[in-house]
This record gives sequence, C-alpha cells and structure tokens, in this order.
Amino acid sequence: MKVTICIGSACHLKGSREIIKEMQELVAANGVKDKVDLNGAFCSGNCVNGVCVTVDGTLHSLQPENTKAFFEKEIMGRL
Amino acid sequence: MVTNDATILRVKHDVLYEVAKMAWEGTLEEGREELPYKMFPGPQAQFRCCIYKEREIIKQRVRLAEGQCPVGKDSTNVVQVINAACEECPIASYVVTDNCRKCMGKACQNSCNFGAISMDDTRAHIDPSKCKECGKCAQACPYSAIAHLERPCKKICPVDAITYDEYGICVIDEKKCIQCGACVHSCPFGAIGTKTFMVDVIRLIKAGQRVVAMVAPATEGQFGTDITMASWKTALKKLGFADMIEVGMGGDMTAWAEAQEWAEGYKEGKKMTTSCCPAFVNMIKQHFPTLLDNMSTTVSPMCAVSRFVKEKDPGTITVFIGPCIAKKSETLDLNIQDNADYAMTFGEIRAMMRAKGVELEPEENSYQESSVYGKRFGNGGGVTAAVVQCFAELGEDIKPEVMKCNGAAECKKALLLMKVGKLPADFIEGMACVGGCVGGPSKHKAENEAKKARDTLIAGADKRNVYENLKNLGADKVHMHRQ
Repeated sequence: MKVTICIGSACHLKGSREIIKEMQELVAANGVKDKVDLNGAFCSGNCVNGVCVTVDGTLHSLQPENTKAFFEKEIMGRL
Repeated sequence: MVTNDATILRVKHDVLYEVAKMAWEGTLEEGREELPYKMFPGPQAQFRCCIYKEREIIKQRVRLAEGQCPVGKDSTNVVQVINAACEECPIASYVVTDNCRKCMGKACQNSCNFGAISMDDTRAHIDPSKCKECGKCAQACPYSAIAHLERPCKKICPVDAITYDEYGICVIDEKKCIQCGACVHSCPFGAIGTKTFMVDVIRLIKAGQRVVAMVAPATEGQFGTDITMASWKTALKKLGFADMIEVGMGGDMTAWAEAQEWAEGYKEGKKMTTSCCPAFVNMIKQHFPTLLDNMSTTVSPMCAVSRFVKEKDPGTITVFIGPCIAKKSETLDLNIQDNADYAMTFGEIRAMMRAKGVELEPEENSYQESSVYGKRFGNGGGVTAAVVQCFAELGEDIKPEVMKCNGAAECKKALLLMKVGKLPADFIEGMACVGGCVGGPSKHKAENEAKKARDTLIAGADKRNVYENLKNLGADKVHMHRQ
C-alpha cells in the first residue's frame, strides 16, 4: 500500500512532520513495514485542505491529532 | 566548461532566480502569471517557433521551480519532462549524410542483412521501415557517411526509462527512472527538468522555522580555492539558515557504520553493496529487488547528519545542498526516519542567494567538521577508501576486494554479476555518476575543472582520524541504520 504525505511548506506548517513521525511509529508498532510504503510528496497545490495524504491514490485531508484514527481506519482497515 | 546547454542554463537559472525573488518578497501569487511575459516580451521569438511556445515553456518551468509537475498530471517523479520544450527529435535512426560518394564498393548495401539500403540518384538511401538499427552499414562505410542519430536523453539514460508518446514527445517511464538526472543536462533543448523544494525552503525560513543547511562533500572545489566551507557557512546564515554543517562528517559516520557491517558480512562470506548513492539505491530497488538483502543497511551521510542535527534540536528542518538530483528522491522515502527534509542543487541555492543579494565570498580555509576521508566521499572510490581507513582504526585485519563502479553503467554491470552469483569482488561501491558525486548532474564545474581547487582545499584540512572526529563532535552514538 502506497501512502503519500505532502511535505510542501504549507503542509509542513500544518504539521505534516508530526503526522509522518506518528505514521512511522504506527507502521513499526503494527508490524506492517513490509506492507505500507510511506512516501513524501511535493506540493500538489491543494494547500487549503492540508495536510494532504493519499492512500493508494485517494486524497484525504488530515490533521496531526487525527493520525491514529486515520491510520486505523484508512490504512490498517484496508490492508 | 564547454556544454551544449549554456543558453538553457541561463534560462533555467533566470526562472529559478525570478521565482526565488518572488518567494522571498511574497509576490509569487500575483507574479507567476506575469513571468513568461516579462522574460519573453515579444513580439519576436528568441529560440523557438513563436513567443507563445516560449512563454508556455517558462510557465512549465515555473511550476517545476515550485515543486509541481510541469503540466497538470499528478506524478511523484522528481525528474519531469517539460513537454512544451521537447522538440520531438528523431528517436533513433541511421541516416546517410553528404559524405556518401555512391561508391562502387557499396559496403553499406552489402553489409545490410535486411535489404534496407538502396541507391538513389546521388547517394545511398536507408528505408526506415526495413532498418533494424543494427549499425553494420555505419561501421562498413569507408567514408563514415552514415550517421547514427539518437535522442540524447534516450542515449544517456542508464536504465532505458526514456520513451515517447504518439507525437514523439519524450515520456519518462517512472517505474524504471532512478532519478539520477543524467537526462536533464543531456537535452539540447532543456526539455527535462526537476521539481524543486526551493520555494518551500524560502517559505519555511520566512515563517521563522529553524532550518539547517547540510552541504555535500562534493562541494569543496566547485567554486574555486577561495570559496571554503567557511564561505558557505557565512553565506547560508546570511540567507536565513540557522546553521550549516558539512555532510563530509556524515561520510565519516557512514564509513564507520558500514565498515562494521562489511567486516561482519566479509567474515560470513556475504557479498554487499554500498547504500549512500540514492540513484544506485533506486537502481537496486527498482531493477534488482532480489539484491535488497545485500545492500548495506547503513544510512547515507545526508541522513546521518540530519539525524545528528535533529537529535540535538528536535523539530529542526534539515536541507541538503549538493550536485545531486536523486537526493531529492531520497528525502521522499519516508520509510527512513529523520532523513533530510529537503534536498536542493547548487543552482537552486545560488538562485535563492542571488535573489536575496547574498554571495559566496572568499574566506580562510579553516572550518572543518569532517576527516579527509569523509570529504572524499564525494569522489569515486572515496567510500571504499574511508571504509578501509575505518577497518584500520577498528583493528580489523581484513582486505576485501571492492568493485568500484564509476557511473550507472558500471553499477548495472556489477549488480547483474552479483544477481547471477558471479561477482568477482566481495563488495560493490556504487556511484551512479561518473567520477562520483563530483560528477553529479547539478555540478557547477566539471570534475576535471574543479579537481585542482578541490585537492588544494582538502589538502588544507588537518589529518584527524574518522573515529576521533566522530567522538569529538559527539556523533558516534547516532543510530546509523535504516530501520
């Protein structure tokens, strides 16, 4: 599963690095390193809805505080 | 440096400069639409068929400078085709030139196994529908009258990732592309470029974030003997970076960890490869996935220094600066923790400097954060030399054979041998650029032009050992593996 997280400056200021860190920890804690590929993405111009996260191509809008719930539902729930 | 892209470089740099200037001033929103008109006011075209095409190309270059794809499509590739700039060169063909004397020997015709060559009134003619591009006719002609035309981008790509669409416009096969950037400067029309993080970095500096620059080991010598690491530090701080660190120090860190890993592998009889060149790593991942187990798990010098910085000051944004394009793709691999947040080329950082009136100015060669081994990481064979030095410092009495691959073609050959179990050496040092990082696609000066200045600057460094350096800097405890 390919997950991309925008690392552009707008998403950065909205907390994309916190999301990335938490995702890295969640991927490790759930033992799904072989199944989940975490990628950074250049800005796609969707800054208003940031932080922009895609899961297998589907765009989601995420805030750092929702990372865990998002991970459970959209990533673990789809594996 | 004699290149075929001096004019293109000027246009590219003008775009980067203008975009950087607007980003610093905060006028990008209004200004980006105006730029094509400012650069090509018309009414006469300068380089292409018309000003409308020239302006469209600038528009696409601006998108790249802002980190977006040149046209609307969504693709994660760092290297991108500026399709308006692609001149649909002939893909590959053999053509008969004026040198042909329509001689009696007709070696061309006799050498062709496909009946593709006939004689017209004045010279030989090759029927493209029959020609299989074997090249026998070109070899056979005593007048060298048959030329092989090949798209420069396609010719230089080491992994055959350049294809084309039904209109003949270049298309990059992103599954194959290893982001080495060789094609970028090969195109005589400047139709291939890369996304940049320049605007992001400017915005984060402006937002008051702590941004630290990490300058590649290949940097020394690129701008002459007068421009030292101290010059870079001063200029980058003027630009708004909180600090600058030499990535040569990361070379020390990587060599130290890799030496231990290799020593262990050597004793077990396990063949391994380096993991510091991102295009080489991409080559293994995308073209030789069965060899992933043989790739060193040590992180790159860039990642090592980034971790070192972030350990001390969590939340710091780290930006790598160097001659490399593939480093941008390494920053996008988020399976590696605490790697550099962004990577930039010399051209991009210099545009950022020019736009703010900051120059690299001569300074004494006194600032040093890496051993000479770490500094030489950017040269072909430099990784091996540093690892061998670490073997000595570790008291490991081993002398493994290392195949030092100079450029992507050699890397590919060595990996093929390794794949079939016929690698004559114990280890592979993989450098996707010829000469190592100093030969990188976004170098400022060619390797041979910069060599003298580079040797002088590095000769000015003290002779500290690798481990001694790490211990003194407090960099000997950083976690050095990918996982």
